[in-house]
Amino acid sequence: MNVKIKHLGISLLVIAFVTIPLYFLTPFLIDLFLNPQLYIKIGGFFNNYSVSDFQVLVLSILTYTSVVLIGYVAYLIATASTRAELVSNFQNQNLLASKFELEELYENAPVPYITINKDAEIRGCNKSALRFFGVVPEEIQTKNLFAYASDEDIELAKKINDFYEADVPINKQEIRLRTKNDDIKWVSLSIFLTKDAFTNEKNGLVTVFDITEQKQLDQAKTEFVSLASHQLRTPLATMKWYTEMLNSNQLGEMNPKQKEYLTKMYSVNTEMIDLVDILLNVSRIEIGTLSISKQATNISEIIDSILVELASQINKKKIVFNKKYGDTSFVVESDPKLLRIIIQNLITNAIKYNKDGGSVTIGMEKGFGIGQSSITVSDTGLGIPKEDQERIFSKLFRAKNVKDVGSSQSTGLGLYLVKSVAGALGGNISFTSEENVGSTFTLRL
Amino acid sequence: MEIQNTTNQGEATQSDVATNAVVTKKKILIIDDDENLTSVLVDKLNFSGFEADFSNDSTLGLQKAIETKPDAILLDVKMPNMSGWEVLEKLRVDSWGEKAKVIMLTSLDKPESVAHAMEEGSTVFIVKTNYTLDQVVDKIKEVLHV
Repeated sequence: MNVKIKHLGISLLVIAFVTIPLYFLTPFLIDLFLNPQLYIKIGGFFNNYSVSDFQVLVLSILTYTSVVLIGYVAYLIATASTRAELVSNFQNQNLLASKFELEELYENAPVPYITINKDAEIRGCNKSALRFFGVVPEEIQTKNLFAYASDEDIELAKKINDFYEADVPINKQEIRLRTKNDDIKWVSLSIFLTKDAFTNEKNGLVTVFDITEQKQLDQAKTEFVSLASHQLRTPLATMKWYTEMLNSNQLGEMNPKQKEYLTKMYSVNTEMIDLVDILLNVSRIEIGTLSISKQATNISEIIDSILVELASQINKKKIVFNKKYGDTSFVVESDPKLLRIIIQNLITNAIKYNKDGGSVTIGMEKGFGIGQSSITVSDTGLGIPKEDQERIFSKLFRAKNVKDVGSSQSTGLGLYLVKSVAGALGGNISFTSEENVGSTFTLRL
Repeated sequence: MEIQNTTNQGEATQSDVATNAVVTKKKILIIDDDENLTSVLVDKLNFSGFEADFSNDSTLGLQKAIETKPDAILLDVKMPNMSGWEVLEKLRVDSWGEKAKVIMLTSLDKPESVAHAMEEGSTVFIVKTNYTLDQVVDKIKEVLHV
């Protein structure tokens, strides 16, 4: 519309510039046409030409040309700006189109987006955010974002707010938010810092990923492990104590065959307890609920208590134990419970896969930094075949040469657990092994 | 090492007193909702020279503890209605129960449970599957210094 008006104006201007000088020039031109002898005479044009007439002629021609020139320049300038405007209009339209596209993306994105001002008050949000909170735009605008934190996470919300105030972006912070219907939802919250285009004030773009379902699944898994650990272990503990009671002769003497059967029951039950323990620990590691509490841990005490526990197996196979460490006050900063799981598995393996009358050597070296202390368990047993060595720490993997030996006690979980737990403790496990000579496992802490 | 020495001496004097005095059986109360477990524990403790009593309900167990004032209480952690931790909390409010010797029994072996037991002022923490009956008896003797 504007462009058309401008074109009309420019046309009128050009017409005016051409017609006005023509109006003044026309009488002279008519005079020239009707009385050419007044101006042109053969042999003496200038002689018969009056000064005033000549002046009028020159002036008129000059005026005419200059006016036409000015008009033309004005026309050029005017159309140039119109052209520029056309180009910029085209660019504006492109901008508008991409702005519209971005707005569509923002509005209809499946992730709730919220923009906040420097005081964490909500300036606006997209449809997904409205759906998430169950509100209309008027209800959410100008409210403080952190007022939506659930009661349990108020402290955490304050902390996040402090970070935001200190211009620290927030990256995937898990927090519980309360919606309008008082539903508590777990979200992964991020805040990107932006600046207002006009006032240059700090703003925040907030994304809230709903992770409630994921959390519920995690919770269900954790509950399962806790349930299984209670429900499976309780009857096993009961069985353990009943068989022990029967076997103790306190209820009357048993004949040797009865005693033998009871002893078998007892040892199978103990294996079952160990298996449940391993399964539970593997689940804990995989779910990520394995908790670590480090403290000063005396390793030789752990080793001694394990040897007491394994005494019957050691005696049965007539295994000779060598402790290659003088210092029994060997203390490391670690989790005793988890360290015990590692060492117990290593020693059990060293006994289980040993020859009758073989030997097991335990060594310790104390260092002064992370990865500088080490515990080694060596045996003179079956060893691990070369082709199986790469996969020995894999879950449910069992080396070829042990598949026939002690198949009832081997789960393929022991070394997997050892490696996982060692990793969780910030340690590292390695080994050297030769088939039919033996293996040496080294735990570095 | 020093600490161990002093406890050893403490134990020695305690057992001297026990042998010199007229032998009275130490009373143990077991609070555990698992009837099978309580029954074998009661038998074992009675055979081992204690006077064992039990309750399969946490609320009644707490009442019984305050009424009978046993020398030690074996307290299960996971029980319906009221958990072992709640029983312990209520017990510590009582004038006698404040100093009662409590051994927590559990099927779980999570480290945080042990930490919890320490905080609550309970003396010993027993993971059922890890202990033989003989070891349970030893623990009770250790707690009672006999």
